[in-house]
Amino acid sequence: MAKIGVFICHCGENIASKVDCTKLAAAIGEHPGVAVSVEYKYFCSEPGQESVKKAIRDNNLTGVIIAACSPRMHEATFRKVCAEAGLNPYLCEIANIREQCSWVHTDKDMATEKAMDITRSMIEKVKRNNKLQPIEVPVTRRALVIGGGVAGIQAALDIANAGQEVVLVEREPSLGGHMSQLSETFPTLDCSQCILTPRMVEVAQHPKIRLLTYAEVEHVDGFIGNFKVKIRMKSRYVNRDVCTGCGDCMVKCPVKKISSEFDCGLGKRTAIYTPFAQSVPNIPVIDKASCIYFKNGKCKTCMKSCQINAINFDMQDEFIDLEIGAIVVATGFQIQNTAGYGEYGYGKYPDVITGLQFERLATASGPTSGKILRPSDGKEPETVVFIQCAGSRDPSKGVRYCSKICCMYTAKHAMLYAHKVHHGKSHVFYMDIRAAGKGYDEFTRRTIEEDDASYVRGRVSKVWLENGKLMVRGVDTLLGRPVTIPADMVVLATAMVPQPNAIEFAKTIGIAYDEYGYYNEAHLKLRPVESSSAGIFLAGACQSPKDIPDSIAQASASASKVLALFSKETLEREPVVASTNEATCAGCWGCVLACPYNAIEQKDILDRSGRIIKSVASVNPGLCQGCGTCVTFCRSNSIDLAGFTEKQIFAEMMAL
Amino acid sequence: MITQEKYRSKVKKLLADGSVKMVIGYSPGSTADRRRPLFIRSFEEADQLVLDSNCIANLSGYLVTEGLLSDEKRVAIFLRPEGIRSLNILAAESQLNVDQIIIFGFDSIGREVNSLPGEHADEFSEFIGSIKENPPEKSREPLLYQLEQMNPQERFAFWKEEFSRCIKCYACRQSCPMCYCRRCVVDSNQPQWVNTSSHTLGNFEWNIVRAFHLAGRCVGCGNCDRSCPVNIPLRLINAKMSEEVLGSFNHFAGMSTTQEPVLASFKKEDSETFIL
Ligand SMILES: Cc1cc2nc3c(=O)[nH]c(=O)nc-3n(C[C@H](O)[C@H](O)[C@H](O)COP(=O)(O)OP(=O)(O)OC[C@H]3O[C@@H](n4cnc5c(N)ncnc54)[C@H](O)[C@@H]3O)c2cc1C
Ligand code: SF4
Ligand code: SF4
Ligand code: SF4
Ligand code: SF4
Repeated sequence: MAKIGVFICHCGENIASKVDCTKLAAAIGEHPGVAVSVEYKYFCSEPGQESVKKAIRDNNLTGVIIAACSPRMHEATFRKVCAEAGLNPYLCEIANIREQCSWVHTDKDMATEKAMDITRSMIEKVKRNNKLQPIEVPVTRRALVIGGGVAGIQAALDIANAGQEVVLVEREPSLGGHMSQLSETFPTLDCSQCILTPRMVEVAQHPKIRLLTYAEVEHVDGFIGNFKVKIRMKSRYVNRDVCTGCGDCMVKCPVKKISSEFDCGLGKRTAIYTPFAQSVPNIPVIDKASCIYFKNGKCKTCMKSCQINAINFDMQDEFIDLEIGAIVVATGFQIQNTAGYGEYGYGKYPDVITGLQFERLATASGPTSGKILRPSDGKEPETVVFIQCAGSRDPSKGVRYCSKICCMYTAKHAMLYAHKVHHGKSHVFYMDIRAAGKGYDEFTRRTIEEDDASYVRGRVSKVWLENGKLMVRGVDTLLGRPVTIPADMVVLATAMVPQPNAIEFAKTIGIAYDEYGYYNEAHLKLRPVESSSAGIFLAGACQSPKDIPDSIAQASASASKVLALFSKETLEREPVVASTNEATCAGCWGCVLACPYNAIEQKDILDRSGRIIKSVASVNPGLCQGCGTCVTFCRSNSIDLAGFTEKQIFAEMMAL
Repeated sequence: MITQEKYRSKVKKLLADGSVKMVIGYSPGSTADRRRPLFIRSFEEADQLVLDSNCIANLSGYLVTEGLLSDEKRVAIFLRPEGIRSLNILAAESQLNVDQIIIFGFDSIGREVNSLPGEHADEFSEFIGSIKENPPEKSREPLLYQLEQMNPQERFAFWKEEFSRCIKCYACRQSCPMCYCRRCVVDSNQPQWVNTSSHTLGNFEWNIVRAFHLAGRCVGCGNCDRSCPVNIPLRLINAKMSEEVLGSFNHFAGMSTTQEPVLASFKKEDSETFIL
């Protein structure tokens, strides 16, 4: 006989204000098989949990229903409570009467009715629950970090310094990401390269880190603790093992006028190149599209110049297969293409530049050696206009969200400009100044008060060229009148957007993304560094626009999640796994194909003489993740999922 | 054009030299324009073979008769293009070894019967591809357009009326070459997902489940439609489903013996409009 205990939680006022819990408890008490039906203000509190334990022991309960918040919140909590009271934890179910009821309804009577239905349905389910035992799976203690920007570097170092193996994959020829392009960084104005380069070197030299640059993740299979990853090592045409990074080849290469991606088009590079002088590793790559040899089969100047024969034009892409236990995704961001903003004249007037280009101008190691010079004529601009939110917070043409860092870097740019061009004057068009962060508001105030940047609240409608001046027309919404400022240079604070291949890449590794292509966390508040897939974590600007401190904090948080996972040799997994009915399986192998974890195999059923009678599908419980995809696929209903059996689900539905 | 007589002698030759153990074709039926399946193992049986434009049933389902192919001997079969496509699906779903099958492919325009070149299923891939690209004009039912014009309530009423006649005889299932499961979902009763009684709910459940199970698999042979004793226009559901699958996933059922089932394969380029 079933003896079910039902515990109805008020969740303070969260549930009680919309669901009549007393009435609910009384009605549920009448339901067949219910031995206990009680309400309480907070069952998740210590006394609440104790009362559940006591009720289990006193009444020898055979199943428990917690009618409360979503199982995502507290299923684990209450399963533990049951286990501590001697009840198999899988005999505990949550009836979600908060998210799926009280939070979304206003009529108390109807919400109470619905809460009764939800609770009854779970009671009918739990009556059919089976005692389950957790499954142990081994954990491969090797982490994969994807992306070698500051976030990926931090995550890799943290994991490696704790003694675990890391493979760091960066698709560009060098580590560094965007931070290596920056000049000085807000809010302290440390030189970006000076604080980043030592960490890049540390990564390259770390005995626990295997650094794979100019490499990409091709394929990810498996699941938490047991991923199988295929990496493509793109052919560099330079042998990584022997090249000493002397740079002779780059000096000799006759193709010298290629616009440098690293310098955002403000500088030039050769066809065989390293993105920047401090590249890690300091090993060049040949840009096949620009190299004369690859175009017409003649040249090989670099090869002749290389003393140690490191250059090999026949090199092919190579593939590396890795066994990985956890993955940190740190693939970063891009800045938005400003082409959509024709009225700002980007691309038309050379002296309208992006913030990232300004960083290159302001960097001591950049194309102008740190002097602020106009791209058009190399003169020092006397008036500079900065336009904030060039793309951000603009649902019509740009992106709806705030890019979070532009207020700060624009203030920084105005400050750097004031420090470098003493007689210069800067104007900043802004919508709001969002400077929330340690030392941030102080920083922007300094720009305004000490460095004399004049901030104009309003948007710019047009930039045009008149008598050699860039005329910037906007409105000053505080004074309520239009303003036109003649400038020598205009800097656009372009929006931060996801990598162009972000969505495709998310599909390759199997994680969820939002409407823009930023990667989704498992829970925005409670699990901000876990992705939607177990064992895959997020760090840095691939999740949302972030500055360096936030990127690093998230990277370290991800690293600690990885280390927690690696702290044991095995992993306890929920026993929610599928199994097939060999008698009825038709052997169509649809499930084998449908299973996203390759957990289903073909199994031959033999007669006594060893002859195959038939082949059927068979689930490997070590690999199955309990997603249920196969169950929904199987036409002959030959697969069932423990914890969510057809009988349970059917009973749940029929109780409604 | 190739005559019935020529086929009879071809069949006899295959049986005589032992290349096949059986030929599945057509024989005269209960009325002048009906044909019934014929399983030829002897010369006498071969003489009953008929091949004309009335031979419309898709015979491929007989190939998965329990035990027929387990001795690894070969069987020849008369198939229209739809039949070849369903044979491809049976092969793709591992229900038979296609190397054991010799195909006599044929088609008819009006009363005229044409033979299709090829013997092994793989030899017809190009031909099937051409049907996908240029579906025959006549094929779309006028009723389909009418159904599309209806609003959901009207459409529901239409099907409720049609399904109300269903007597749950499962002739549609028995005749469909794709319904080869050892135990059909309607026969599983722990729990009983599909109601066995012939009331509105049960009839809807059955016909909707059947439609889903044939999504991306139905080849439009019409066996189900013709076998339904109460004339429910099952072809309309199947045809609509096929169009949806083709439009959404560019999947044309039965293209080849290695085609992946549309509902079990995931491609990066699949549209995700249904994920909120
Ligand atoms: C103009 C400008 C000025 C800024 N100034 C400041 C400042 O002063 N202070 C501050 O705190 N922040 C500043 N920022 C923000 C700062 O750049 C970011 O916070 C930081 O770069 C984020 O680091 P990340 O590692 O997440 O991403 P990224 O720096 O973008 O690094 C991502 C890395 O991943 C690699 N990658 C991408 N996809 C793949 C893939 N599929 N496989 C392998 N590798 C891949 C990329 O090549 C790149 O190396 C500024 C940003 C801009 C645009
Ligand atoms: S989908 Fe069902 S019938 Fe097909 S192989 Fe898998 S378990 Fe068997
Ligand atoms: S539930 Fe089925 S589809 Fe999902 S992982 Fe397990 S075996 Fe694969
Ligand atoms: S559902 Fe009907 S038309 Fe489609 S393959 Fe089966 S029998 Fe033929
Ligand atoms: S053949 Fe017709 S009557 Fe029989 S089960 Fe199918 S739809 Fe119903």
